[in-house]
Amino acid sequence: MIQPSSPSSASAGPIVRLSGLTYQHYGKTAPALTDINVEIKRGSFTLLVGPSGSGKSTLCMLLNGIIPQILGGELTGKVIVDGKDVSESKVQNMAHSVGLLFQDPEWMFATLQVEDEVAFGPENLRLPPQEIAAQVTKSLEYVGMNHLRKNLVWALSGGQIQKLGLAAVLAMSPEIIVLDEPTANLDPATTHSVHELILRLREEGRTIILVTKDLDEFMAQADHMILLSEGRALAQGTPRDVISEHGSIMLDLGVWLPDPTEIGLRLKQLGLLKNKAVPITVAEAVDALKDIRFKEISSKKKESNLGEILVRAENVQFGYTRKTKTLRGVSFDINQGEIVAIVGQNGAGKSTLSKMLVGLLKPSHGSLTMFGRKASQWNVQDLANDVALVFQNPEHQFLCDTVHEELAYSLLAQGIVDPGEVEKRVNSMLERLNITDATETHPFSLSAGSKRRLGVATMLVGGRARLLIVDEPTYGQDRRLTERLMELINNLRSEGITVIMITHDMRLVDAYVDRALVMANGEKIFDGTPSDLFQSPEIIERASLRTTALRRIVDGLRAAGTPVPNGLNIVDSFVAAVAFV
Amino acid sequence: MSENTLQYIDNNSIFHRVDALSKLGWVLIVVIFTFQFRSAEARGIMLASLFICALLFARIPITAILRASPLIFGVAFLLGIFHLFITPGINTLFSLGPLTATQEGLTKGLEFFFRLAIMVMASFMLIWTTDIRELMVGLVHLGIPYRYAFAIFMALRFLPIVQQEVDAVKAAHAIRGRASSSPVRHRFRLWQRYLFTVIVNGLRKAESTALAIESRGFGAFPDRTYVKDFRWTFPGIVLMFLFIILGTWLIFWERHLF
Repeated sequence: MIQPSSPSSASAGPIVRLSGLTYQHYGKTAPALTDINVEIKRGSFTLLVGPSGSGKSTLCMLLNGIIPQILGGELTGKVIVDGKDVSESKVQNMAHSVGLLFQDPEWMFATLQVEDEVAFGPENLRLPPQEIAAQVTKSLEYVGMNHLRKNLVWALSGGQIQKLGLAAVLAMSPEIIVLDEPTANLDPATTHSVHELILRLREEGRTIILVTKDLDEFMAQADHMILLSEGRALAQGTPRDVISEHGSIMLDLGVWLPDPTEIGLRLKQLGLLKNKAVPITVAEAVDALKDIRFKEISSKKKESNLGEILVRAENVQFGYTRKTKTLRGVSFDINQGEIVAIVGQNGAGKSTLSKMLVGLLKPSHGSLTMFGRKASQWNVQDLANDVALVFQNPEHQFLCDTVHEELAYSLLAQGIVDPGEVEKRVNSMLERLNITDATETHPFSLSAGSKRRLGVATMLVGGRARLLIVDEPTYGQDRRLTERLMELINNLRSEGITVIMITHDMRLVDAYVDRALVMANGEKIFDGTPSDLFQSPEIIERASLRTTALRRIVDGLRAAGTPVPNGLNIVDSFVAAVAFV
Repeated sequence: MSENTLQYIDNNSIFHRVDALSKLGWVLIVVIFTFQFRSAEARGIMLASLFICALLFARIPITAILRASPLIFGVAFLLGIFHLFITPGINTLFSLGPLTATQEGLTKGLEFFFRLAIMVMASFMLIWTTDIRELMVGLVHLGIPYRYAFAIFMALRFLPIVQQEVDAVKAAHAIRGRASSSPVRHRFRLWQRYLFTVIVNGLRKAESTALAIESRGFGAFPDRTYVKDFRWTFPGIVLMFLFIILGTWLIFWERHLF
């Protein structure tokens, strides 16, 4: 067990005290945080929640003095962390008090080798080499990576990168560990293993402040929850209190909430869960809903209305080098009008497959036929008219200086040159995406949600794309933004566009897709409906997936003898089907 | 992750085991001699010896060398062509419209081609075979303040990541199609945009990195501890010595022969 080194850990009182804190970023006209008053106890576990842009990351950076020491800006009020005023204490001197794990720790790495990376912090603090060596081993053992200590950091998987980031933080023995979305882009099983590490630290009495949208495993464990919205602390208290008093507001704000909580809140809003507390775990939900009765639902099966085969892959193989095989003989069909999810662990070959579908890569063996022609006969430019790929980072796709120009570019690229026609189509797309107020804005200056929607728009504005591939729709988006994006995708499907989603979010898979292709180690190990997938524990385990909390609730209710109709894959349909509780 | 041109290649070769400062010294020796040579033959032999070292002693895969060859030879070739045509001379070799290539231009062009190719190749060998951290610790060992040594280190550390970013942007742009009928204009726009995107994202990421390393106490004290301290190695001394002998012999050889 790695304990903070400071002897002050035994002292009582809050370890973090923010009083009357207002902060405005340099060059901005509105404050990012306004009148925040928060106290965090030593040894407590705090969840920081709020929609995108609510000030969560800003607050994290205040705790170790990056704000205001490095990023400047205007700060009023007091921020006292581990007895130090962050306005007066250098960031480097806060390193013993606060360990901050960033969203993308790859950028926090300063060296090439795993063990050097863990040693980097303690070396800066001038600890003796023997002590550092012991600390490195201890930290790497803690996260289960001691066997990888000689590896290069860029050869690590997404989950290993996060664990290394955590080991690097632990090696400095900080009093407080601040984790800003540590599992934002990890597969479900890896996310779970990182969560287990966080919970272990919590059990050992470390002070933890966590920002995450995966709250499921933490709601019952956390001591404290702070709800931020537009830079204000709307509520704070135990997660149970915050949920029961402010849950509806959280839903309205678009905060990701665990399925049990969302179901409970929605049933309460409908007056169906009287005299019972809102559940915050699957077990509590099963217990609260054990007497639930559902309305009669017609068991009419969704009509299979599949069109022609757009994509046919037969024994497709590919390797980036001669020695490694990223795809090992993958076969599947994609029909017109389907929404298909490609899921699987980090590095399973999902992104490689999507690059192949847009012509950026060609199979080394096997055959890939798209729109009736072999992939070898397509080039990227030809395919660009038929296939649209929305990258995880939409900024990579942008080529122009305004949103308007960006859409016009796509039309010109497809041979639509009549200025009147270009104008008409651009305006219609801007209205459809609800970004009419930003036509002259630089694409890089848009909000995260608008960037994503513009990424989709640039690909579809020409109206010729038949296949849309979206890489991780939820990345960097709160619930409301994701729902808007999915609404857009659903509308496209109803217009006959086929959609392939690459995602780790099992809620999306369960809620929106017709079919899931599951990849593991470059092979396709499953091809079927999400329902069948979630009833295949072996596939779930092999592909590092996890069933959704909603499914676990349904399974729990059925196991307790409560009949639950089929097809309740999303919270909306579940709640709508409830007759009484 | 796909392989990049500008990153450390993890091999346990004898060249990898040479300490970073000796390798840096070796690059300097190679460059100094290259500027002393007068003949294309001597420079050619030096370049060939670098390739032999890369393949046999550093065990750099030929594919990595081929991937890097546009960088190693491309700019050097352009520089060579430039000198071929702009160097005044009396012995005309051939004419291409208003451009005239002379024997003097060919000599000058070859000189510049070899000089640049040798410098780039030697630098690549340093990057391919050196854990940049060792180089930083080595520079600190020479008395350079660690903040400055670290700046060099970070620049090299981020080269492969910048390259990845360029690849990702290139791929994303390729699927956007071409809006201009002129391929040259299209290419110009793409390059303009690569630069913009890579610089904007590069600056953002550099800022994240700076914040992250300061958060981990970097710069808290005027000095810091090094778990793995710098040590000169015997193969390093041998490497520098061998290339001094090779360079000196080549100078004598070319001056007696030509």
